[in-house]
Amino acid sequence: MASAAHPPHDFDEQTAAFIHREIYQLGVLVIVAIAAFVLTQAVAASNRDMSLRDAAEWYRRGESAIATGDLDAAVDAFRRASGRNRNNKPYQLALARALVRKHDNDGAQSVLLALRDSTPEDPDVNLELARVAAESHDVTGALRFYHNALYAPWPSEQADARRQVRFELVTFLLTHKQSPRAISELLAASTDLPDDVGVRLQTARLFAQAGDAGHALDQFQQALRLAPENPEALGGAGLSAFALGNYGLARTYLHQVAEASEDLATTREVADAVLSNDPLANRLGSTERRRRLTANFVFAQNRLASCLEEPGSLPTSDALTLLSEAQTFEPRLMPSVLEQDVVEMGADLVDRIERLVLQRCGTPTTLDRALVLIGRQHGGETR
Amino acid sequence: MNVPTSVRAQQLRLRENQLFLILTIVIGILAGLSAVLFTVAIEQTSHRLFGLAPSRLRLFAIPPLMSIVTGLLLAKVFPDVRGSGVPQTEAAYHLSGGVIPWRVPFGKFLTGVLCIGSGHSMGREGPSVQIGAGLASVVGRWLRLSPQRVQDLVPVGAAGALAAAFNTPVAAVLFALEEIIGNMNATLIGSTVVASVAAVIVERSILGNEPLFHVPTYRLVHPAELLAYAALGIVGGAVSVLFSKALLWLRSVFFRLPARTKAFQPAIGGLVIGAVLVYSPAIMGVGYEYVDQALNGGLLLKTMVILCFLKLGATIVSYASGNAGGIFAPSLYIGAMAGGAVGMAVHRLAPFPTGDIGAYALVGMGTLFAGIIRAPMTSVFMIFEITQDYQILVPLMVANMLSFVISRHYQPVPVYHALLRQDGVHLPSAATSTRGSVRTADQVMSTEMWFLPPDMSVAQAWRAAQEREDPAYLVGTRDRLLGTLTREQLEDLQATGRASDAVSLVVGDAFVHAHPDHPIDVVLDRLSESGGVLPVVSRIHARRVDGVITHDSLLNRRTARPS
Repeated sequence: MASAAHPPHDFDEQTAAFIHREIYQLGVLVIVAIAAFVLTQAVAASNRDMSLRDAAEWYRRGESAIATGDLDAAVDAFRRASGRNRNNKPYQLALARALVRKHDNDGAQSVLLALRDSTPEDPDVNLELARVAAESHDVTGALRFYHNALYAPWPSEQADARRQVRFELVTFLLTHKQSPRAISELLAASTDLPDDVGVRLQTARLFAQAGDAGHALDQFQQALRLAPENPEALGGAGLSAFALGNYGLARTYLHQVAEASEDLATTREVADAVLSNDPLANRLGSTERRRRLTANFVFAQNRLASCLEEPGSLPTSDALTLLSEAQTFEPRLMPSVLEQDVVEMGADLVDRIERLVLQRCGTPTTLDRALVLIGRQHGGETR
Repeated sequence: MNVPTSVRAQQLRLRENQLFLILTIVIGILAGLSAVLFTVAIEQTSHRLFGLAPSRLRLFAIPPLMSIVTGLLLAKVFPDVRGSGVPQTEAAYHLSGGVIPWRVPFGKFLTGVLCIGSGHSMGREGPSVQIGAGLASVVGRWLRLSPQRVQDLVPVGAAGALAAAFNTPVAAVLFALEEIIGNMNATLIGSTVVASVAAVIVERSILGNEPLFHVPTYRLVHPAELLAYAALGIVGGAVSVLFSKALLWLRSVFFRLPARTKAFQPAIGGLVIGAVLVYSPAIMGVGYEYVDQALNGGLLLKTMVILCFLKLGATIVSYASGNAGGIFAPSLYIGAMAGGAVGMAVHRLAPFPTGDIGAYALVGMGTLFAGIIRAPMTSVFMIFEITQDYQILVPLMVANMLSFVISRHYQPVPVYHALLRQDGVHLPSAATSTRGSVRTADQVMSTEMWFLPPDMSVAQAWRAAQEREDPAYLVGTRDRLLGTLTREQLEDLQATGRASDAVSLVVGDAFVHAHPDHPIDVVLDRLSESGGVLPVVSRIHARRVDGVITHDSLLNRRTARPS
């Protein structure tokens, strides 16, 4: 009946009490939640620190294992390090490298692809992926990842590292006999090379390996501009000039090399022989021109004849034809002054004989090689 | 006088609805925090107990020594927190009105941290679910919410905890609906979503946005690969059945040991786990580090096969011996290893190009989850959330469906329910759940019962039966039903010379029964199988008889129903 006597008053009191209790309880809950959040955050932070310490320790153990050659232990340690600190790129890269050393290219690729998901434009990750693909003979994949690495945003202070990636790509292309692509990459690299002898020499070497003697010579000459007595640059420039058929320049460079290797010495001799035996060289007197042609002719004729006489060396129709042709041509060398067309015919005949000699008559002499080069220089092969 | 009362009632209802909405957020936050704290505490404990590279002695000694401590705690202080926590949460939701005592979440946290942290091969998600649900229940009761609201908060807390523990909010919501509530159309979907989101926000704000696993990009390289995934589904189903059967069998073996050994049974498990850890530390604890390796192709075929079976055996031993920890994570671990192994075999043998081995490991995780936990929708969405890759759905569904079908065929009762049955708790299934729409067994049963005492001889029972004319008889007592005997069975026993045997010796252990919430159609089906007398037993204590249903009682009750 109390409620009947004072209904509005009682209702207000009850409602107020009810609301008061609710607010009080919700307040307590919020305070508990905040306290729990702070506590959990602190514990989680401590746990994270512990994980990071563990990861660092595992990484250190992995490196020790690598040093001792225990690749299984290294992979295990790097895996643990990566698992405890997933965002640490060096740990993942170390794991990938250890896997590659274990010849587990699939595993390495898997690790790197996972890493690449979070950092798709990271040059290091792409470079490692390229190396893994290269190791697996996946040319397409390697090219893709090398290019990803090259065109990734490199910090300006890492221009050298980026250049080395391009050189690595060139080496990879050369290994897979893709010289045109390699030359393209080298041309791109050579646009902003620093004035550094080592870099110039490296570029020149790669051009030379790719068969681009012109650009190789250019880079060797750039190196010589920086270090005029650099023996490698001199030798490389000599060889490049030789490959270009510029025997005079080749001889100039090759003679400056103080301690020539056997290869350089041989090339130098051949270059000398080319220059001193070329009957079609410019600015020669008629006597000298005749002397050179006659000497070359006699040498080639004798080489062919002696070759045909060697046991087991059956005379072929080509050889016999050439020998007969030489015997027919011999009287035309008698005049003291030779007509230009006789000189050219003689040089052509010598060239054809020498090319046959190179094919059939064992190790060529320096003069054999020189005569073939003389013929090539004057278009003998195309005639 | 009625007007203010009605207004107040309306206000109260409105306030409770508002309060419930706010509560779902707060509970989501608390459940998320509890799950994060639980995860971190396990890692800290494991680190302190084992260090960076534990010696063999440590590996061998720590699990049994710690299990002595946890065994005593589980037997004497926290008897309700053994095992996973998911079945207990289901039981609390369905059978106890969502009431979970405060010592359950507290005890689960403590024993779970000690058990999993000391190397037992168990998961943290199941305990997180029980802790989250327990916190929700405690808070709901503290706020004096209505019993229905307290019950509703249980799946809300469970979803929040699972979302934070596994970092998969959608799968957590589905798990709460599919597994805890057992109804995908539940009205609680909104609340579970809110709690799940709140929990994940809390979890990510503390632990960061780092995904639980680094997964490979998925690609179906060749259409024929679907056959390989189907094969994975079959393997997954077989392994799931093996796991479930072996777990239930070993648990029944531990149950048969004398009651006084209960406190030390976890230590027996610890001893086995210690020995296994010496051989392979990779099965220690939750083991997600190795799942990650399997997903990223970091393990060899032989390693994955060995780890698959070692983990399977170790989890069974840890769980069956009564330690506190779940089977959610182990099922994913076993699935990843099985999937990775199948993937690697397919990679080597298949005449068609195949995808990444990690993709098979990933699908394998879902396959085992679907086979063991029997929550196929959760499984599909969980993997989908982990990968965030739409393309994986078709192979995942193919493999999951096969695994689910095989598992259901050979192990009809889902493992969580079977575990509860071993504890004497019978959960309602979706088919038998009614929620008041139709008449149920408790409305048609008779509470007047007559029992054949266990020590009565067959001859005495037969004589008594002659006087009663019932088609069958209950054997035992109201609190402990041993089984039922039909008149024909009694007659046969009398004729075959077993008249002097006690009825407790001749009655079969299994008997057809109903539970009070079974709908009338289920009652009718079971009554026809029962021999004429259908005992109605409690779900929480399956041997306690609440009533009995016979054809006569059924007719009498239905006749007496008001029109």
